[in-house]
Amino acid sequence: MSRHARPQRILLLTGVYLLAVIIGVGSAWLWLTRVDISGVDAGAWRVNLLAGSQDADAYTRARIALGAVLALGRSETLYYTTDHDDLGDSLRAGCRYRIEGLPPPARWWSVTAYAADHFLFPNDQKRYSVNGETVTLDEAGRFSATIGPPADESRGDPAWIPTAGRGGMRLTLRLYGASESVQRAPGSLAAPSIRRVGECP
Amino acid sequence: MNPKPLNWTRHLLRVSVVVVLMHGLTIWAVPRLIMDRIIDLVTADSSLERANGVTLPPPTDHTQRRIVTPSPDLLYATCFFDLADGPIRVTLSTDYPRYWSIALYASTSDNFSVVNDRNAPSGRVDLTVVAPGHNAATSTLQNDETRVVVSPTRRGMLLMRLLVNDDPAVRSAAEVARRSLRCSR
Repeated sequence: MSRHARPQRILLLTGVYLLAVIIGVGSAWLWLTRVDISGVDAGAWRVNLLAGSQDADAYTRARIALGAVLALGRSETLYYTTDHDDLGDSLRAGCRYRIEGLPPPARWWSVTAYAADHFLFPNDQKRYSVNGETVTLDEAGRFSATIGPPADESRGDPAWIPTAGRGGMRLTLRLYGASESVQRAPGSLAAPSIRRVGECP
Repeated sequence: MNPKPLNWTRHLLRVSVVVVLMHGLTIWAVPRLIMDRIIDLVTADSSLERANGVTLPPPTDHTQRRIVTPSPDLLYATCFFDLADGPIRVTLSTDYPRYWSIALYASTSDNFSVVNDRNAPSGRVDLTVVAPGHNAATSTLQNDETRVVVSPTRRGMLLMRLLVNDDPAVRSAAEVARRSLRCSR
């Protein structure tokens, strides 16, 4: 073998195996951050039935750890999440959305808005969610809430979740002590609708 | 002397194995690393109040950036355990009238046990958490309030949740309730 052939070969193979490591780690990361989590759909929302469970497969466990670590099992809490509205358009923090529906059949429920980084939107009123205690029901027993940038009419409105910035947004609908029928068939939930109101900046 | 040609078939096979292994290792490691990170962050945060072996974070707002998707409607309390040094005992005595739960998590992030206001209606909890390998037959309800739980991993954490609202009386009652939680050897 020539004097220079062996180092060149070692360098080449090192590069190839390093690339293999990058592809292995990168493909896992892309899967965890780009592929939709599996689950059951209810309207625009999706619930993963294995969140927090010891029966979760490795992919589900990793996905939940990234976006909703320390989740409870479905018998305790059902977590419905979405990053799009009823039309399938991505939720954006700079837009205004109307959330409407019947109160979910659960001991307690809430809808919380999160920025794309999975943390709460900053706002001086410290209002981050709406729930059965903060919304009022109309004559048909339906609630209505608004999620979007603060406006004159939003101040003091407990059914308005102020957002900030123009990045992405995720919503989580929590059902603590969901009814047995919803626990058995989470896809049967008449989940709140999500409609964009007005134009986005 | 000419160098021996590379056996690319053999290397391609090895490279494929490396890709699959690294992919699987990443998926396996993510929840464990995140749990380790949470434990490290909360343990190292000297601004958090601690009492009776329990960490008492302030009410959740947008400045909380340790754990993703926090619920702003819950007040939390937490403690961490390493069962290498023996079991830990968790006790609670409360008459908090709203939803509360005590959830145990393994270092894999799995929730392996939950006690709440419905399955402990007396408001009294007495749990002994033991290391994996402990006789699983003891992981049963011994009476209404006392039980032994086998953790699937040596390390883990406990998270107490209490449903609150803006009413100062409710907040005050929740504060009393979480301060009755004890994690001890």
